Amino acid sequence: MSELKKIYPFAAIVGQEEMKKGLLLNAINPKLSGILIRGEKGTAKSTAVRALAALLPEIEVVADCLYGCDPDDITTMCMNCRERLANGETLPRAQRKMRVVDLPVSATEDRVVGTLDIEQAIKKGEKRFEPGVLAQANRGILYVDEVNLLDDHIVDVLLDSAAMGVNTVEREGVSFIHPANFILVGTMNPEEGELRPQLLDRFGFCVNITGIIDPALRVEVVKRRAAFEEDPEGFADRWEAEQDKLRRQIIEAKALLPKVQISDEMLFLIAGIAIEMGVDGHRADLIMMKAAKTMAAFNGREEVSEEDVRQSVDLALLHRMRRKPFQELAVDRQKLQGVMAGFKHSHVHSHTHAVK
Amino acid sequence: MSKFQRVVYPFSAITGQEKMKKGLVLNAINPRLGGILVRGEKGTAKSTAVRALAALLPEIEVVMGCPFNCDPKNITRLCDRCQARLAAGEKLETTSRQVQVIDLPVSATEDRVVGSLDFEHAIKHGMRRFEPGILAQANRGIIYMDEVNLLDDHIVDVLLDAAAMGLNVVERESVSYVHPAEFILVGTMNPEEGDLRPQLIDRFGLCVEVEGVRDPGERVEIAKRREAFDADPMGFITQWAAEEQAVRDRITAARQLLPKVTITPGLLDLIAKLSMEAFVAGHRADIIMEVAARTIAAWHGREEAMEQDVYEAADLVLFHRVRQAPPPPPEQPEPPEEEQEEPESPEQENEEENQEEEPQEQPEPEQAPPPPEQADSDMEEQEEEDRDEQEQNEQEQNTPPPAAPQEIVFAVGQPFQVKRITHERDRILRKGSGRRSHTKTASKAGRYVRSTMQRKNDDLAFDATLRAAAPYQVHRRREQVAIAIETGDIREKVREKRIGNFLLFVVDASGSMGAQQRMVETKGAILSLLLDAYQKRDRIGMVAFKGNTAEVILPPTNSVEMAHKLLEELPTGGKTPLSAGLAKAYEVAKTQLLKDPNISPLLIIISDGKGNVSIGSDKPLKEALRAAEIIREEERIKTLVIDVEKKGFLTFGLARELAHGLEAEYYKIDDLKADTLVQAVRQSSE
Repeated sequence: MSELKKIYPFAAIVGQEEMKKGLLLNAINPKLSGILIRGEKGTAKSTAVRALAALLPEIEVVADCLYGCDPDDITTMCMNCRERLANGETLPRAQRKMRVVDLPVSATEDRVVGTLDIEQAIKKGEKRFEPGVLAQANRGILYVDEVNLLDDHIVDVLLDSAAMGVNTVEREGVSFIHPANFILVGTMNPEEGELRPQLLDRFGFCVNITGIIDPALRVEVVKRRAAFEEDPEGFADRWEAEQDKLRRQIIEAKALLPKVQISDEMLFLIAGIAIEMGVDGHRADLIMMKAAKTMAAFNGREEVSEEDVRQSVDLALLHRMRRKPFQELAVDRQKLQGVMAGFKHSHVHSHTHAVK
Repeated sequence: MSKFQRVVYPFSAITGQEKMKKGLVLNAINPRLGGILVRGEKGTAKSTAVRALAALLPEIEVVMGCPFNCDPKNITRLCDRCQARLAAGEKLETTSRQVQVIDLPVSATEDRVVGSLDFEHAIKHGMRRFEPGILAQANRGIIYMDEVNLLDDHIVDVLLDAAAMGLNVVERESVSYVHPAEFILVGTMNPEEGDLRPQLIDRFGLCVEVEGVRDPGERVEIAKRREAFDADPMGFITQWAAEEQAVRDRITAARQLLPKVTITPGLLDLIAKLSMEAFVAGHRADIIMEVAARTIAAWHGREEAMEQDVYEAADLVLFHRVRQAPPPPPEQPEPPEEEQEEPESPEQENEEENQEEEPQEQPEPEQAPPPPEQADSDMEEQEEEDRDEQEQNEQEQNTPPPAAPQEIVFAVGQPFQVKRITHERDRILRKGSGRRSHTKTASKAGRYVRSTMQRKNDDLAFDATLRAAAPYQVHRRREQVAIAIETGDIREKVREKRIGNFLLFVVDASGSMGAQQRMVETKGAILSLLLDAYQKRDRIGMVAFKGNTAEVILPPTNSVEMAHKLLEELPTGGKTPLSAGLAKAYEVAKTQLLKDPNISPLLIIISDGKGNVSIGSDKPLKEALRAAEIIREEERIKTLVIDVEKKGFLTFGLARELAHGLEAEYYKIDDLKADTLVQAVRQSSE
């Protein structure tokens, strides 16, 4: 557990607000399905993801379940838990932190999806499924550093299970199926290549980060880092109050989230943005809506405001824009402003009473 | 095997996408339609719809306890076990249950697809017993392949084989078994990730393309419903239960009506006419169209198919079968129909044999193997003529299927030239693969698909080894373990990758290329190579340089459509940062080599060589030559320079100089026709 202490505190990360926002929103609402962080080397990408682990809320799990099933939600349970429930058993409950599970770039497919349990086979001559990384990541975060260097066939496997929240295994003599609902978090340096479009779309959010330009802030980064390296525990202690504040904010937002309402106007604004900005499919709309709601909850409100929508646009659209050659991965600010302003305009005309 | 009940979004609650829903429902009514392929951009409810369909499927009568879901009424199609029981005078108990949707995950290995020896049973009882796989479960049901274009080719071959015969013949790992395997294939895919093999595409009776809804009101409705479902799935399902039941009832009614539905000879003529107008290959389209028209009539509660039903059917049936233009007559020694009739089985066997003989040699790029080419690899030149014809057919099928009409942007006479390309390229790839498989033994990368007895590396296939050892356990001495393994039992993994060659286009997009004709020619040349790469499953990438920088406009991908789209939109103008382009290309090729040491990248540099911007302080040309030197030193990277400088008064010959520096093949675009270009590519990769 001393390992945990050595992690740089999330609250102490300087700048990179967009990235921090994206990560926090995911901690509040797992349905946002993750975030892709693109940026140059040394921009605290990995630090931030690892730091997030310390802020993650506790979840209710079936104590002895390999997949950490939610004892209150039969719809997402593994076979075993369902059977036990059907047999009239009461499932033992426990609380544990949401996990961050690492998927190393060198991972093999059998370790990712799970495979035949060799020990059982040799010792007992029995066929048993040995769960892999996807099983561990159920209800947690699956973190892929250098996600763009991941082998193609591993990506295929991820796509398959990320889409449905279920991992279907039909290999090496075993046939098995288990829930694999994970938040996919990836970091990458775009200089080393881009992601395949299908995988890109699986990330709810995407942020581009660059080194900080403000000299004063840069100095601050270096100072804090030095202080941390010198005395990690002391540094962590000093930030504990801030960390705690964030932790509480996350828990409160999580509780508030189901109550957050979104008006039709806001939904039309979202649909308008998606259509005007020319995105593929409907995932952008869904993510924008969920993000806006989560944003409202994070700010302690029960009603989604236009500002919430505005704040969610960048996160949800950046990687879903149709791109032309020589075009950076970016959201066309001007066009977006046009859309939002246009909306406001027509909005004022059609329902004057509804505007604040 | 236990069932995992997914909580799925109700079918009737899916907004829009009427065509896709229609196609799916038709398949639920009539299994003879032969399945459906749903193509479309990401996030358009493709997978959701297929999963939702499962809840609407009708009930069928099955023999109780039969792992193959035998139909008690159809005695000719019973499995061995049921037949034996019947012969013994037993009465087969029946039960009715819903048609199953069986998932085929992309990570599936062959043993689980076709079935294999049950090792647990073998160890414990010393008896060989067949353990049914996915094909058994899917008998009389549906096999669903999400991301079907990412499936391993070998697995696809196995599927096609079974689908063609309606039987699964297993001869492996000391088990020999045959069982009925009649199933409907349902697939979803995003074409951006690369397209399907023509053989597989043709297997799907229907095909629809979906895209996002453009109407704001509908979009809002979609978002609202999804959110409601996410918040309370069970509540949502209850809310839609009545609607679901209505659809289910309508399907049942249609199923009952279907045998009575007739179609007039006039409409049959119309079907034939529509097929001919679409230049489809073979007769499968006509047959399915007729069935589809009648099924549509049944869905509408009519006993006679109408003209509109035929048109609706044509839309679903012809979509993926339409070909762009009539094949040029001289190139067409005989109509393709004959061979299209039975495309799978014989060729498949060929392939199968090949793989068995020399599994490690299995050339990676040819995994998509147009089978005749596979045949080449053993039989030699004397087959030349024969092969020519076959390839031609291949090639026609390969014409990128749907959404086609506007795709002929470049007025280069494509079909003819591409055929030549296929032919020529064929051989280098084989050579290339020899080299590749050598390196392959060193690495354990790739997807585990099946196992082999050949020992080449220590990549132990544990499951296969266990199965090999299992039947003998009764006789072997076991010490403290349940299973004793001897050397002869050892099996190794055969891994496969979808990556073949890697072609990286390095395109000069500077102002000097702006002389209109030059860029058009360049694009045409690239396009013909792209089409070839598409068929060969090569990876492609594109780097363009202009102004002050070079950019990877197409990261290494299999998606030729993407490349095509990007190529169309590629703007020109500005200075020529040649060295930046070379550096970028080198970087991309190196990354690719890091990821997969087995590929051999080929840089195709298209420029006039007049670099006039440098990255550093050196003169642009000197810097470019230095970059060339660095590339030359990496022996795994091959290069090819295509000089676009026009013949004229003043020629600089800079591109030639560059080619010299790279020790690259050098060609001038003036005397470059697409087929010579292909030869050029061939020579360079040797």
